[in-house]
Amino acid sequence: MNILSRRSFLSHSTKLGLGAALASLTDIPLVMQRVLAEGTIGQPGPNGRVRKLLFIFLRGANDGLNSVIPLGDSAYATSRPNLALTPDPIQPFAQIGSAFFPEASSGAGTYGHPYGLPLGNGFAALHPSLKFLAPLYNDGDLALIHRVGYPKQSRSHFDSQAYWENGAPADSAVKDGLLYRAMIESGLANTSPLTAVSIGSSLPLILRGSKAAMTNISNPTRYSLLSIPNTAAGNSKAAAALAAANAARFADKRERSLLELQYKNLSETLQLFAQLKFEEQDNTFRDDVATDGDTDWANANGGGYYLFPTVADKNGGWRRSSGNRPDKYVVPTGAHEFFERLKAAAIILNNTDALVAGVSIDGWDTHSDQVDAKNEAAGQGSHTGAHAGLLRRVGWSLYALQKYFTRYANHCRWDDLAVVTLSEFGRTTMENSDAGTDHAEASVMFLAGGNIKGYEPGTLGGVKRTGVWNCGGDGDRALPWVTGPTGSMFRAGDRYLQRNTDYRSVLAKLIRDHLGATPEQLTRIIPGYAAAGENLQTGGMQSKDNIRIIGEPDII
Amino acid sequence: MTFVAPCLRRFLVLCLFGAAGVASAEEVLVTSNLAGTKLSSQVEAIGAGVDQIELGFEPTPATEEYRVRFAPSLNGMFEVIASATNGFHWSGLLGTSPVGFYQVTPKQLSTNELLATTLLYRVAYGPAPDELERVRQVGPEAYLAEQLAGESVSENLDTIDTTPRWQKVTTTGLASSSRLYLYLDGAGDAYLDDVRLVAGTSDDGSRPNLLRNGGFETALGSDWNLSANLIGSARSAEFVHSGGASLHVVATEGGETQASSIFQVITPSLNALQTYSLTYWYRTSGQGARLTLRLSGSGIVSSQNLSGEPNSPGPIFSKLQTATATRADLRAWHVLRAIQSKRQLHEVLRQFLENHFVTQVSKSQDYFDGRGYGGPDPERLAVRTEFVENTRWREALLNPQVTFYDLLKISAESPAMIVYLDTVTSRGDGSNIANENYARELCELFCFGVDNGYDQNDILQISRAWTGWRLDLLAPENEFNPLAPRSTTYLNPGVVGSGLNANTNVIGIWSFRYRTDRHNNRAKYLFYNWDAAGNRLGSKKVPARFGPPWAGRDYAKTLPARIGSLGLQDGYDLLKHMADQPFTQEYLSVKLARLFVHDGFAHGYDFTDAISTLEEELVKNCMLAWENSTPRGQIREVLKVIFNSDLFGRHDASLQKARTPLEFAVSTVRALRARKEDGSFTAETDGYSVYNFMNRAGRMRLFDRAEPDGYPEDAPGWISAGTLAERLRFVQSALMPSGMSGKEDAGANTRVDVLGLLQLKLGSTSLTDAGAVADFLLRTLFPAEGAANLAAYREVAVNFLNTADSGLSASPWANLTPGTPIHDQRLRGLVGLLMSTQRFQEQ
Repeated sequence: MNILSRRSFLSHSTKLGLGAALASLTDIPLVMQRVLAEGTIGQPGPNGRVRKLLFIFLRGANDGLNSVIPLGDSAYATSRPNLALTPDPIQPFAQIGSAFFPEASSGAGTYGHPYGLPLGNGFAALHPSLKFLAPLYNDGDLALIHRVGYPKQSRSHFDSQAYWENGAPADSAVKDGLLYRAMIESGLANTSPLTAVSIGSSLPLILRGSKAAMTNISNPTRYSLLSIPNTAAGNSKAAAALAAANAARFADKRERSLLELQYKNLSETLQLFAQLKFEEQDNTFRDDVATDGDTDWANANGGGYYLFPTVADKNGGWRRSSGNRPDKYVVPTGAHEFFERLKAAAIILNNTDALVAGVSIDGWDTHSDQVDAKNEAAGQGSHTGAHAGLLRRVGWSLYALQKYFTRYANHCRWDDLAVVTLSEFGRTTMENSDAGTDHAEASVMFLAGGNIKGYEPGTLGGVKRTGVWNCGGDGDRALPWVTGPTGSMFRAGDRYLQRNTDYRSVLAKLIRDHLGATPEQLTRIIPGYAAAGENLQTGGMQSKDNIRIIGEPDII
Repeated sequence: MTFVAPCLRRFLVLCLFGAAGVASAEEVLVTSNLAGTKLSSQVEAIGAGVDQIELGFEPTPATEEYRVRFAPSLNGMFEVIASATNGFHWSGLLGTSPVGFYQVTPKQLSTNELLATTLLYRVAYGPAPDELERVRQVGPEAYLAEQLAGESVSENLDTIDTTPRWQKVTTTGLASSSRLYLYLDGAGDAYLDDVRLVAGTSDDGSRPNLLRNGGFETALGSDWNLSANLIGSARSAEFVHSGGASLHVVATEGGETQASSIFQVITPSLNALQTYSLTYWYRTSGQGARLTLRLSGSGIVSSQNLSGEPNSPGPIFSKLQTATATRADLRAWHVLRAIQSKRQLHEVLRQFLENHFVTQVSKSQDYFDGRGYGGPDPERLAVRTEFVENTRWREALLNPQVTFYDLLKISAESPAMIVYLDTVTSRGDGSNIANENYARELCELFCFGVDNGYDQNDILQISRAWTGWRLDLLAPENEFNPLAPRSTTYLNPGVVGSGLNANTNVIGIWSFRYRTDRHNNRAKYLFYNWDAAGNRLGSKKVPARFGPPWAGRDYAKTLPARIGSLGLQDGYDLLKHMADQPFTQEYLSVKLARLFVHDGFAHGYDFTDAISTLEEELVKNCMLAWENSTPRGQIREVLKVIFNSDLFGRHDASLQKARTPLEFAVSTVRALRARKEDGSFTAETDGYSVYNFMNRAGRMRLFDRAEPDGYPEDAPGWISAGTLAERLRFVQSALMPSGMSGKEDAGANTRVDVLGLLQLKLGSTSLTDAGAVADFLLRTLFPAEGAANLAAYREVAVNFLNTADSGLSASPWANLTPGTPIHDQRLRGLVGLLMSTQRFQEQ
């Protein structure tokens, strides 16, 4: 029987949008798609391993100036009377070298250190709640890219998050996500059920798209279906019936292809997930050293802290041998749910073919009471409070991920993984009357991974390479800390930190040099990446607002 | 559109597509060209084999039957020769199908029928069996008119019927033990009669009562044992349901288990694998106490609120009115009303307002906590502010001429909003800089839409208008008078000095109060242009793209400097000015169109360009209705434009949206909820149980959204593998009988009596006919899809009914007896399956 299908003919001619190169191939046999795709996203690299990405979206706008702190700026303290941290009076702040990691003494607790932690470039410091980033920094596995933004920055949360996720600033017509497009370019999106996964309440825009379903799981321990009767036999009878119903054809309606894609993704991933162990009893991942210098804990418990604090008992050394101690928590107890999700993301990347996993942390919109301003001396109270609690999640997450993918690596080693944080914008240089900060523009991105190039000590002392970008007078960066039009970046009236890097440059670097996209693919993943006026790759003036950027940071 | 078929060598057969075939009288003569409205089906494939012709064609929406027509020549009439029932395919033998011309015509639902289903999907929270019948009977236009004028529909859902009366309860489950307990949840009393426990899933009176003395006609003796807390219970002749006596249950304390209940040990013992049905009658009393009857082990549990209709919003409403309700109560009330109200459009609009003018009960609760309060705890105060806001909208919507400005004002005055967007601490006196949060969201999310007609300068000016809008404890009669002074009723009038006026000592209602000393009294210049140096230039003008009558208009407004209480007028002038600007008209029209028609409307149309889509025209017509109504901005006028539009009434709206978690949960219950003769319903929930589902299905927490943009309306916001898993679990769990593992997902108090529904609507003779059962369920659950389009689901359904639980062997449905556990379970399984399909996600 000779059948010509009109439907497929029509659908060819109406296909639009990005990823068109591969889009026109979707009707050829799937096995051919992978062969015809370019680049090596999802393919083994030179060392025979597949490289992966984990992103953490900090939703609400992270105050970059309180994360990687420009302590060396003369107006810092006066612009932020309640928020400002001071340098450690004992540590020589100006000393060039590695980052300082203050281990908790038995008295002071995990986050007892109230001062900014020198990052070894004489200018920038880490908020003490980020202290667990110091070991990563000293290993050379962390890059801190400050002053990241995009031209004509929006200060609306919803819009700016959308632009970070769709990779097209100021273009809300782009409705699919930039990592979705990266997965489409890999050619694997329609063959493998799990390419990109998010663990959260809904699939974020960065993974959304119309031609392939990325997977979103809200709770991996509940990721299974019920049936009537709720027995194994009942389950399989219902599953077979549902599969038959899902194969039925219907007239076109707006949401039908989305539903079809996601149902297909559901049925394909259910089996996969059933084999992974997300239960609490299997959360046995530990640090290999006496974490935070806590030898008491290590001796009593045979090792370091649990990497994923999903319950109080696994939260740092709190159940230390000398009695429960809240100051031995590594993350606030409100973060246990987040670490369930982070653990799930890590387990998935480590044990399946998934290339990308993502989670998000909410609550960064600290318009008021960003710190516990109730503490007595100025500068003393500023290392605790709302923002500090959020930063602890970030610091511990990256530390834990390094340990997990080093000690427990399966399909993914620490060298194969890049972890990146995203946030829609930063916050004002000057604090407001409520001890908080308001919406601003540029903020900091954290990049971690075995493959990331950060700090490198000099052979005869000093620093060969710093792990800090755009926050220090360091020699090998094209543009040092550029102060505002009339002096210090924090001068009154100049409330917005000026960007020095476009977020697209950072992500492009990762997607091309870590994941394996070709430059051609990159222009489809990030629309307009190669456009002359943007200078995203090599640096230069951005045409939309005449601000100079450094182009791609050499982090890989 | 025509498609040229490939030439076939052996047969002179051609297929015509898209030509106007002659339709017979009973078919719809649909003459417009809108998407999905088909005169013929587009044939996509044509094949020929030995002695055979085969047609493959595209499915069309809402199709009851696909008719294959034949004509020997193009000039002739196309007569129906067959009905294509096999998956959008038809094949005919050449011997019987002569050489000639073929056409496939869909018999689609009539426009009335389609409109009826679309109304129930959009204007209501999904079809309910009784309502579907009623709409078909009175006609969709009449239904729509009634829904638009909600005040014309009489309803008393929120009242508690305190007239005591006997109420019947039935529940089923597995025999977890042979001991039956009954008790109250606290001190109190109740009357109970005619308790029956029978084998099987329903009790038609014919099976023996396995309980002794269930009617309490003889002395309690050893049949019913009284524990210490219930020792005052005795037989009573005062209030009796049947026979000569009932049981007067008198409790001094709440009960829980054998030692604190009235219990009976059933002999001979029950069979643990058997399903049993428990029925009893209790007398409502207006009390809030709960009566529980259950088997030890809780295989069968029944718990009833003595105050009235089980699962009625009434008792919760009285808690809301007295500020004793928690957020769980508020959510349950909202859900129950969505399920049960006859004023469905009213409920849909209230949810729209809650999700448009977002406020957050947690933030209000934090505000009241630690600030000192005179009265109930912070959560109950926060819930009260939400309830007051919701009630004011409710009352406003019942006014036929309600305008957007009315609704906007209610939001601005709501203490919940004043706290949520930080107006409550905003200061503009002296050199204080006002907080911009509310001003920004007023422009971006509530009125104009992002970057639509305003810029940062306007936000700055607007933020000053709101300074001084705060909260305080006012006397109850001053709750809506922001210029009233603080309440002077004190808990302890003997305290002196500042202690007298401490929040903990003042008795009052937390209300909107205007603080003149916090207000920015200077003039405010709204929607002007400003140069880089900060000089004010001319008025902003409405962009050309809006076209007449709005384009080119100046829309600046100066609020003069005002002092004292006159400063309060700034906010109202501002709202009045913004409420009817073309930007607001556009923004709200698009939002309403997205809610009611489909998600494909955009902001920012150029209404003046030559090309205009139907969507663009609809938005423009809504805006014109807004502009031209007197007073301007009448919501009902805008809604009429939407509901009367072609887009709404035809296939462009039908089934084009996906259900949000709230819509999914509510429509699941509604779809199976018919009224039985005794006044109970075939599907019930207590309203509380759906919270867990909505939270897991995407964190849809009613009244508690942290981000002011509201929960998404579109499908990608909710549809992903993980959230679909939760939806599928929810429907299966809702359909489960009580006691089955997994029932906790939907909650023990979410119950469906599928057999009862079928008996009501299908009649007992067809209950053993798998095809009839399948047909009934398909047209009940998917009334807009069309029977021919559901053929594949029908096949799956019939197979399911004819297959044993093991899934491996055949077990003919016709051989099962209605009312037996196996019949009941398989029926539930089928409904759960059908509601797990992709089609049930749509509306």
